[in-house]
Amino acid sequence: MTTSITPVTSPNNPTSGASFFTDLGTMARRDLMRVMRQPEALTFSLIMGIFFLLLFYYVFGGVIEAGAGIDYIQFLVPGVLVITALNGSTQTGSGLALDLSEGVTDRFRSLPMSQLSVLAGRTIADGVRNFVGLVLLATFGHLLGFRFDSLAGGIGAVLVAAVIGYAFSWINAAIGAKVQNAEMVSMLTMFWLFPLMFASNVFTPTDAMPSWLKAFADNQPISVATEAVRALSGGTDAIESVMLTIAWSIGLVVVFASLAVRSYRRAG
Amino acid sequence: MSLAAQFGERVVEARNLHKTFGDVVAVENLSLHVSSGEVVGLLGPNGAGKTTTIKMLTTLTSIEGGSASVGSFDVVTEGDKVRRSIGLAGQAAAVDDKLTTRENLDLFARLYHLPKSERKNRVEDLIEKFRLTEFADQPVGTLSGGQHRRVDIVAALIANPAAIFLDEPTTGLDPRSRAEVWEEIRLLADKGAAVILTTQYLDEADQLADRIILIDKGKVVAQGSQADLKNQLGRDVLHVRVSDAVDVERVVAVINGGEARVIDEKTIHVPVGSSAKSLAVLGSIRDAGVELDDFSLAKPTLDDVFMAFTDAS
Repeated sequence: MTTSITPVTSPNNPTSGASFFTDLGTMARRDLMRVMRQPEALTFSLIMGIFFLLLFYYVFGGVIEAGAGIDYIQFLVPGVLVITALNGSTQTGSGLALDLSEGVTDRFRSLPMSQLSVLAGRTIADGVRNFVGLVLLATFGHLLGFRFDSLAGGIGAVLVAAVIGYAFSWINAAIGAKVQNAEMVSMLTMFWLFPLMFASNVFTPTDAMPSWLKAFADNQPISVATEAVRALSGGTDAIESVMLTIAWSIGLVVVFASLAVRSYRRAG
Repeated sequence: MSLAAQFGERVVEARNLHKTFGDVVAVENLSLHVSSGEVVGLLGPNGAGKTTTIKMLTTLTSIEGGSASVGSFDVVTEGDKVRRSIGLAGQAAAVDDKLTTRENLDLFARLYHLPKSERKNRVEDLIEKFRLTEFADQPVGTLSGGQHRRVDIVAALIANPAAIFLDEPTTGLDPRSRAEVWEEIRLLADKGAAVILTTQYLDEADQLADRIILIDKGKVVAQGSQADLKNQLGRDVLHVRVSDAVDVERVVAVINGGEARVIDEKTIHVPVGSSAKSLAVLGSIRDAGVELDDFSLAKPTLDDVFMAFTDAS
C-alpha cells in the first residue's frame, strides 16, 4: 500500500535558494498572464497620465510657460512619464494585498518554492506593463507636439522612467504586504505618493517654491528621475542625473524589498 | 476487523502540539496521526483549533511546543522537504481566478519543480482522472463553486503528495457540489494518500472519515471511528417533544440533567443509560404535569457525540 506513494518530484531538486530564478520566471510568467487578461489595469495608469498631460498642458500650461519662460510640453511630458510609472507601480501593492487576502498566498507558502520570487515576479510583471504604458503615453505626448531629441534618447528616457517605477513598486509591495487590503493600499497612495508627486519638479520648475520646499523638491527621487528623463529626452548631459536615479532605485529596492519580504513572511 | 491493518504506514504524526495567540491557547497538547490510505476528519466547533493545527502541520505557522513530522521529515527543521511532500487546499480557494484550470495546474506543477518532461503529462493526467476536461480551458473565476473547489483540491495533488491537507473543503458549497468533492476526496485516499480534513459538518465527517478526531478548545476530546465514538458515548438518547413550547424550561429543570439538550422550541434530547432511566425521566416529566406530544428512544447520532464531548453551552 505504502509503495504507491512516490513523489513525482525528484529528491535532488534544487532547494528554495537555488530555485529562485526558476521560480522567479514562473511567477513573472503567471503575473504577466494576469496582466494581459486585465488590460484595464494598464488603462488606469495610462488614463491618469493622459489626464495629467491634458490638464496641465491646456489648463495651467499657458501661465507656467509665460511665468517660467519654458517650452512647457517639452518640460511636462518627461515628468508625466515618471509619475505615470509611479502610479502604475501602486498596482503592485494592491495586487499583492489582494493575493494575500484571497488565500492563494497560503498555497504559495505551502509549496517548496522561493518565497521572494512571489514578490519579485509580481514587480517584474508590473514593470513590463508599466513600460508598455509609458511607450503609449510618449506616443500621446507626440500628438501634443512633444519631441524626443533622438530615438536613443527617447528609449533611454522611457527606460529610466520604468526603472524608478520599478523601484517604487517595491515600496508598494512593502505596503501591500503590511496592510493586506487592496483598498487600503490605494487609499494610502493619496497620502504618500500624491504629495511627493506635487512637491517635485514634475509640473513646474522649483524656483518659485519656498526655499525649504525647493530644497526637498530638488533632491527627492521623483525630481531626480524627472531630471534624468528630461535630459535624455532633450539630448542634454544626462549622466549625473541618470546615475543618481539608478542609485536611488537600487537603494529603494534594497530597503523596501527587505521590508516587503519580512511582512510577507509574517502575513497570514 | 482491526482498523490498523486496513491502512499503510503512518504518514503524518503530531506529538503534543502547542500554540498560543497572546493569552488564548489555540492548540494544547494535541497529538494525532494519519496513515497512508486513511481519511481523518478533524471535527470541532468554530475556533476549536482545527485550522491552526493544519497550519502548523503544513509549515504555515510556527510550532510553539511539541513536534510533528510528515513522511520522515520534521516539520520544524525540514520545512522545505515537508513542503515537497504535502498538498494543501486551505479555507479560501487558492487558485488563480484569472488563469484557466489547465494553466493553474501547470503553474503549480512548475512551482513544485516537476521536470519539464513530466509536467504536461501530469497535468493532463489529473484533468482526465478528476474529470475536469469540460472546463479545463475556462478561467477558474468563471466556474461554479463546486468546480472551483475541485480545481483547488486537484491543484494540491500535482506532486503526488504523501499527505493531503484539506481545510473545510466543502464550506459554502451546495449539496451536489459537496457530493462531487466528497467523491474526489475518497478517490485520493483510495490511491494511497494520507488525507486529513477539517470540517464543521458532522455529516461530512460521517460520510468521509475513516477516523474522526474531535477537538474542542485546542484539545482532542475524543477520537475513533464513528461507531467507536457512538459506543464511547454508550447511551441511548431519549427524544422528548412537549405539546407547549413554554414547558421546555420546566422539563429541563425537572430532569435536572446538565446533559439535556434543547433541539428546537419543543424538542429535548436526554442521554439515558438504560430503559429504567428513561422511564424515570418520563415519570418525572409526567409528575411535573407537562403534556408530551411524542417521545422515542434512539441510538446516539454523531450530533449527540459532538455535543456530549464538546463544551458548547
